[in-house]
Order: sequence, then structure tokens, then C-alpha cells
Amino acid sequence: MNQTTSAPPRNRRARVMTAVFALVILIPSMLGFIAKFIEFIAVFRGQGEGSFAVTPMVNYLLATTGFFCLFGWALLHGMFREIEAPKQRMLETEEWLVRQEAASDSM
Amino acid sequence: MSSASLTDNRTVDVDRLVDRKLVLYFYLASLTYLFISMLGGLLMAFQLIRHNPLSGIEIFSPGRWRMVHTNAIAYGFLANALLGSMFWAVPRLTLRPVLSRLLSWFIFIAWQGVVLATAGGILLGQAQGLEWGETPTWIDPVALLGLALVVLNFLPSIVMTKGPLYVTLWYFMAALVWTFLTYAMGNFMPEYFVSGSAAGAVGGLFIHDLVGLFVTPIGWGLMYYFVPILLKKPIWSHGLSLVGFWGLAFFYPLQGIHHFLYTPIPMFLQYGAVISTIAVELVVASVIINFFGTLRGSGSAFITNLPIRWFYTGMIFYFLTCLQCAFQTTLTFQAIIHFTDWVVGHAHLVMFGVFGLWIQGIMTYLMPRLIGHEWYSRRLCEWHFWLSAISLAAMATDLIAGGLVQGHVWRALLPWDVSIEASMPFWVVRVFTGLGMFAGQIVFYVNIYRTFQLAQQGAPEAAPAARPALVGA
Ligand code: HEM
Repeated sequence: MNQTTSAPPRNRRARVMTAVFALVILIPSMLGFIAKFIEFIAVFRGQGEGSFAVTPMVNYLLATTGFFCLFGWALLHGMFREIEAPKQRMLETEEWLVRQEAASDSM
Repeated sequence: MSSASLTDNRTVDVDRLVDRKLVLYFYLASLTYLFISMLGGLLMAFQLIRHNPLSGIEIFSPGRWRMVHTNAIAYGFLANALLGSMFWAVPRLTLRPVLSRLLSWFIFIAWQGVVLATAGGILLGQAQGLEWGETPTWIDPVALLGLALVVLNFLPSIVMTKGPLYVTLWYFMAALVWTFLTYAMGNFMPEYFVSGSAAGAVGGLFIHDLVGLFVTPIGWGLMYYFVPILLKKPIWSHGLSLVGFWGLAFFYPLQGIHHFLYTPIPMFLQYGAVISTIAVELVVASVIINFFGTLRGSGSAFITNLPIRWFYTGMIFYFLTCLQCAFQTTLTFQAIIHFTDWVVGHAHLVMFGVFGLWIQGIMTYLMPRLIGHEWYSRRLCEWHFWLSAISLAAMATDLIAGGLVQGHVWRALLPWDVSIEASMPFWVVRVFTGLGMFAGQIVFYVNIYRTFQLAQQGAPEAAPAARPALVGA
């Protein structure tokens, strides 16, 4: 079985859609995040109601830091290169397995 | 035995890659808990129309049954079915078996112990005061240990995979870690470390993260695996699917507070939850567009291919629940629907209408391969689908409408009794729709049982390894 499939021709429309969605999602979410961060600073400035919010915020920041590291790791390890290739490889793997199973069944 | 070599010099023992018996056992356990949970739901539904058949028996009191209903769904039905499906999908995607067969069986048995102890503990009045985390406190460390073993069993095959990962594996990897952390956060923090409304806020994060960081990523991960192999074509855009994954990773954990709009939690946190909910709506839209983009050109599969029909019907319900969320998350709308049956309708729509339907679609596809025989009856499979989908849609519509009525009655400051009387017709309809869903399951169980019988008799029409007859496209 050939495990090293080359990427299919890029689908231009899919790439444009990906970029558009990345922007539409990232911009409002970044704004939300920045707003959160400003509020977080306010907590430490001693606003009365602020100290309460520390628990959920710290939870979130810890989780997000983990994901940020994972994202960086994925980027550095080429996980987003040939971004469409895994979808072809996955199908080929499954088809190969099915063929092997059919052969095994008929033995 | 069949083994084959790959270009990276590994040999794959195809017959031992997936432990089919284990997957089957997970599914049977899952369906057993669904049966118990539905019984609990029906009992609660009868209680609300003042016809409780077990009235006066303390351990079967409605409050306890309600908790059994929700916990059996989350930890019995969903967790077993999702784990079973992962035991099928992970080895096939990575071409590596899970870490240990023995450990897998230990996890299966230990998990059933956890679920049964939870049900027993709840019925005996030992529930922990945390929504969805009612597991008695003494079970929590055991459950967490079980989750750690699950991570240990699956993670090696995923991280050893070379090259860019397929999106399903990203979702699974994240879900394994998230579920462990979410469970620890929800069950230990409010119990031992924080109190008051801070504990309430953590409780909000817990219930939402349980759906969004455990059920959702595994559910979507499975769809990204099963839909392409059934349609025999790749997902429309893998890049877009990764945008969906990372979007969920960064923005989902923020939004749990949206369950507590208008509570004493500081307003800036509530606004933050509203904003991140909107961000997640966009993430969800990207995922749905991707799946419908994949279906384009193969639309007839929606009719002819039964598992695909289950999957895409679930996706339509998913879209509807997210549309509901877009309204629900606004403070204006919250003022009417909070605490009403609207939320209960929403919960059934997402838990059964989406994840329940996906799971049953997967079972419809895999059961013949696991049992080793084609379905006993295609007609029963159709009945199973239509009874489940129509009854669920009717139940959700009924409860959502009932919720609006309740909200308006409360807003008008009418006496409580008035809202109960106004709710009664909706609650009666819920009983009938619940019976419809229940009937759908009974049909499914009969079909499974008869298929088992055929397999045992060695009847000739054995299931082909690749394509059960229901996969018509
Ligand atoms: C026989 C069918 C069913 C009936 C009659 C039924 C009935 C009920 C009732 C009466 C409640 C309590 C509502 C309240 O406290 O006001 C409830 C809650 C719930 N049910 Fe069901 N149910 C059924 C099936 C299911 C299934 C199959 C699922 C999920 C797969 C499910 C998920 C839930 C959830 C998540 C809640 C909690 C809702 C909330 O707290 O907002 N139910 N159900």
C-alpha cells in the first residue's frame, strides 16, 4: 500500500473559503479574548466583584495556553503543510483495510 | 490470520487491529443504558402529568429518576457508544492497535462499574450537588482514574502516527485530554476548593464543557471518519475542518457561563460568554458547510444510504440547535426562556437529535460487521430511523413551544399554578413522543436480537466485510 500520497490539485474555492472563515472566526474571537484580558487585569486591580472571576478565567487561560503550545508544536512539525493530503490518505488506508479484510474473509 | 506490510516497514495484523468483540460489547452496554435512561425519562414525564406509577417509593422518587435519566445518558449511553466507536476508528486510522487489549477490556468492565455505582448511589440518595456531576463523591476518583487509563490506551497510537494528522485524530486527541481535565475541574473544584457563585460558575463551565469538549469533539471526529468512507470520497476541505477544530479548542471553553445569564455572576463574564458563543456559532457553521459540501453531488445517498441518512439528519438537528443557541445567548431572549422547557427541548434536540442519531447511524453501519451477519430486516431499520427522528423532532418542537408559553406566563407574573396548567398539554404530548422514541429503540433491539440469531444459526447471508446492504449509495 502506498502510504506517501501526493496532495491532490488544490481546490481554489476551498482555500478561499478557509481563509474567509479563518478571518470571520478569528477577528470577533480575538476581540472577545482581548476584552477578557483587560477584565482580567481589572481583577487584579482589586475591583470588588473581580476576585470572584479568577477561577473560571484561570481555568480558561490554562487550557488555552496548553492549546497554544500544541498549535505551535503542530506548526513547527509541518502539520499544516500539504493541508489536504491527510483526507486522501485516510480514504486510501480504509480502502486498503477493507481489501485486506475481504481477502482474509475469503481465505 | 491476515497481515500486510506497509511502506514504512511495519507489518499490520489486520485481523487483530480492531477488537470487534469489545466494540460490540460497548455498543450493547450503551443500548442497555439507553433503555434504562428512557424508562427514567418516561417515568419523570408521567410524574409531571401527575400519573407517576411508582409514587411513594423513596428510591424511585422522581428527582432521583431524573438524575438516573441524565447520568445514564451521559455516562452510560453516550460514553459507551463513543468509546466503542473510538476502539473501531483509532486503530483503523492509525493502522496501530490500541496500547493493550487487556487494558481495553479492563476499561470496559471498570466503566460499567462506574456507571452502575453512579446509578446505585443516586437511587440511594448519595448524589453530589452538581448538575451532570451527580456521581457520588466516592466514585469521582475512580472515574478519573478510568479516564486516565482511556488516555493511556489511545494516545500512543495517535501520537506515533507520522505526517500531518487527519482531523479526526486531532479531535480525538483533544477530547481525551479535555474530558479528563473537565471531569476533574467539575467534580473536584466546587466540591473541595471554591464555593458560592464561583462554584456555580465552575458548574456552568463543567456542564457545557462536558457536551462541548467530550461529546462534541468525539462526535464530529467520528463523522469526519464515517462520512467520507461511506460516501467514498474525501471531506470537502480538510483545511476548513482544521479551522473548525482549532476554533473549538480556543473559543469553546469560554462560553459555559452562558448558562448563567442574569445570575449574580459579574456582567463582564456574562458578556464574555455571549461573545465567545457567537465565535463558536461561526466555527459550527464552517463545519456544517464542510459536510454539506462533501454531500454535494452524492445527494441521493441521503435517501438510499441509511447510515448517511442518520448522520445528515443529525447534522440538520445540529444546525437547528446552534440556530437556537444564537437566540438563546442574547440577554433579551434569556429573559423569557430561562428555566423553562425551552431548555429541556434544546437538551433533547442536541443529545438525542444530534449525538444519539449519529451513534445509531454508526451502529446501523457497524452492527452487521460486528455480529457477522447482514441485518435481519431492512424494514425494521427504516422503522427505527423514522420513529426516532420523527418522535424526537415532535418532542423538541413541543417542549420549545411549551417553554415559550411558560416564559410568557411567568413574565406576566401570573400565579405558579397557571403556568403548570398551561404546561400540561405540552407535557402530555411529551409522553407520547417519548413513547415513540422508546418504540424506535424496541424495534432496534428486536432487529439486533434477530440478527444475532441468524448469525448463530450460520444463515448464509453473512455480512460482507466492507459494505453491508444498507449502505446503498
Ligand atoms: C423516552 C424518551 C424520553 C423521555 C420521555 C424524556 C423525558 C425527560 C424528562 C421528563 C426530563 C426532565 C425535564 C424537567 O426536569 O423538566 C428530561 C431531561 C433530560 N433528558 Fe430526557 N427523555 C427521553 C429521552 C432522552 C434521551 C434519549 C436523551 C439523550 C440522548 C435525553 C436527554 C435528556 C437531558 C439532557 C435532560 C436534561 C435537560 C435539562 O436539564 O435541561 N432524554 N427528559
